[in-house]
Amino acid sequence: MKNSNITYFTDVVLITCVVAHGRGDEAIKAAQEAGVTGAIVYHARGSGVRERLGLLGIAVEVEKDVITAIAATSQRDLVMYSLYTKLGLDRPGAGVVYAMPLNKMATYIPADMRERLQTKVL
Amino acid sequence: MNADRSLSRKSSSVDAEGVRSYRYADYIRNSGDLYISYNDLAPVIQYDADGHPLPYRPPALRLRLPEAARLLQPYASVRFVDQVSAVAPLAIYLALFQILILRQLVQDAWLVTAGMFAVIVGLMLFLEGLKIGLMPFGTAIGEQLPRKLALPLVLIITLMLGIGVTFAEPAIGALKMAGQIVSVERAPYLYALLNQWSDALVLVVGISVGLAAVIGTMRFLYGWSLKPLIFFSLIIAFVPTLYMAADPQLASVLGLAWDTGAVTTGPVTVPLVLALGVGISAAAGKGSGGLSGFGIVTLASLFPVAGVLFLALYVASVQSPAEIVEAARQSAALANMGVSAWYASSPGIEIMSGVRAILPLVIFLFLVLSFILRERLANQAEIFLGIGLTIAGICIFNLGLTYGLSMLGNSAGNLVPSAFMKIDDIVISPIYSYGIGLLLALVFAWFLGFGATIAEPALTALGMTAEELTNGIFKKKTLVMAVSTGVACGIALGLAKLIFDLSLVWLLAGSYAVAAILTLISSEAFVNVAWDSAGVTTGPVTVPLVLAMGLGFGNATEAIEGFGILCLASVGPIITVLISGLWSSYKSRLEAAQVNDQAQNLSILESAKGIS
Repeated sequence: MKNSNITYFTDVVLITCVVAHGRGDEAIKAAQEAGVTGAIVYHARGSGVRERLGLLGIAVEVEKDVITAIAATSQRDLVMYSLYTKLGLDRPGAGVVYAMPLNKMATYIPADMRERLQTKVL
Repeated sequence: MNADRSLSRKSSSVDAEGVRSYRYADYIRNSGDLYISYNDLAPVIQYDADGHPLPYRPPALRLRLPEAARLLQPYASVRFVDQVSAVAPLAIYLALFQILILRQLVQDAWLVTAGMFAVIVGLMLFLEGLKIGLMPFGTAIGEQLPRKLALPLVLIITLMLGIGVTFAEPAIGALKMAGQIVSVERAPYLYALLNQWSDALVLVVGISVGLAAVIGTMRFLYGWSLKPLIFFSLIIAFVPTLYMAADPQLASVLGLAWDTGAVTTGPVTVPLVLALGVGISAAAGKGSGGLSGFGIVTLASLFPVAGVLFLALYVASVQSPAEIVEAARQSAALANMGVSAWYASSPGIEIMSGVRAILPLVIFLFLVLSFILRERLANQAEIFLGIGLTIAGICIFNLGLTYGLSMLGNSAGNLVPSAFMKIDDIVISPIYSYGIGLLLALVFAWFLGFGATIAEPALTALGMTAEELTNGIFKKKTLVMAVSTGVACGIALGLAKLIFDLSLVWLLAGSYAVAAILTLISSEAFVNVAWDSAGVTTGPVTVPLVLAMGLGFGNATEAIEGFGILCLASVGPIITVLISGLWSSYKSRLEAAQVNDQAQNLSILESAKGIS
């Protein structure tokens, strides 16, 4: 474990956005335009508000797209703001967005970026 | 709500004594955003005497009117835009062609526009109602019926479902409407089938669809190949066709009979019948095959042909042409005499036919569910809303059919011949020289078919299935292009048939013979996709438009009847898809052979190196 030579990133958050099925790509576009590198879409089934709305509940899709994206803490508010406004989450039944802190994150780092980061650290 | 009382600015914290405190700096900095503790929203849970928490039941949410509007607005607009994109391009194409090429203004433009709007709204409500009102029945019955009942009984219910869905199919209304344009003197049997016998016609078509569903389901169960079934249904459709072609009175029915196949396979039949068929084979443990689900559509578009032909033979044996003309004259006189009942004139007739189309199906599904399965569906209120939407949708759609699609199609059909021949109503006709005008008319028909098909959402879905089935050999785009080209050529051929008064029998016999030969040499997967693509493409917008256009065109060119375009549009894609399927499997085999060759060459090289 000692000499694993992994570069870890800190100050990362996980932003999750739940919207109606079919709007996942829209959410990814909004997140990417706010500076997020990539995102994953899960297909899921939601419940809760739909049952409590009575007949109006038909307007709330049961099938959901769940989008998760990793972002820097400094990006968090902008990404959440973009998702909230561009997907119209201020409408009833449209969806939810939340952020969670992540301990650390590791992935492949391109060579030139690694060099740049190392000079900065040193 | 709870939160309104305790709106707190940023990071309220609760200390040991339970006193809430706020940082003023946070208040200044974050004056744009509100932060509310979620604790303030959490419901208070009650405990029983032993200290166990009682289950919490959330109260119903009440939205204020503007909130409800904000909830419904995106929901409705997505579905509205879906239908607009299906209907508007076709309507605009037809209108522009009339104005730019034929230099005629669209008659009653406002009425037609209102009618098209009604088609859009009607389809939107109908499809949504189908999804929330009827589909839950379909899936529940499809999943449970095969487990609770013996197979013969299940198949009987499948048969009855086939009849019910046929009555509920929106495009069926277009057939009845077409009957009003047919001239009784020139095609008495056709007129009789579409007027006095119109209910019997739909019933026969329904029984045929039901039989197709039964045989298609048995095919899933026993893993039959589709090829012999296709040949068998072609034979039972062609024997009466050839017999009736010899009799000029009966020959006028052929176009109608072959067109019904395209009409029946629409947005109600396909999903409901498939849900049951797939459910039955899944219950038997045979639903995993990639090809399950295919075939029913094919059979459901071939069987009605035979059904309608046999009905025509029966009518011919009961009534003579003279009797039909007499009966038609009497009923016309009756209609002119007194004030007709409210349900016999527009818009009452559209509403009545809408209710009559949906209610029997709903009652049948409900009876099966509650008396045979002894089940109750959850969300009853939602299902009733869905059924209500379906009925409202089909009524509005029927209105739009009368004033929008049929009118537009009919007037386009009436006007297009003016490009190359003399039409009485149009002073400047013929607008172009015969050759150019004819070419224009055929090109018009070709692009109409192409544009109507390429936008069909069902086709995209079929394309994806086809790509999966053939392991990517058959690309989705290839299928969409092949089907669109096939439909386009079919419609152009149909128009040519009306212009030159070609014999429909020989066109059909020729094209189906080609399709049969291609079927013989194609693999099972391609055969399944190709034959199903024919039924999938003719949706509730295309069918009435093309029917009305054919009838108008037939009137203008003084052909006896304007049917037969749709059936050529169905056989077209079968041929094109089979050809492109053969071509792409040939290409992939070629590529595989090349890769093999290269691999062999490489290994030879390497072994040569090894030796040296």
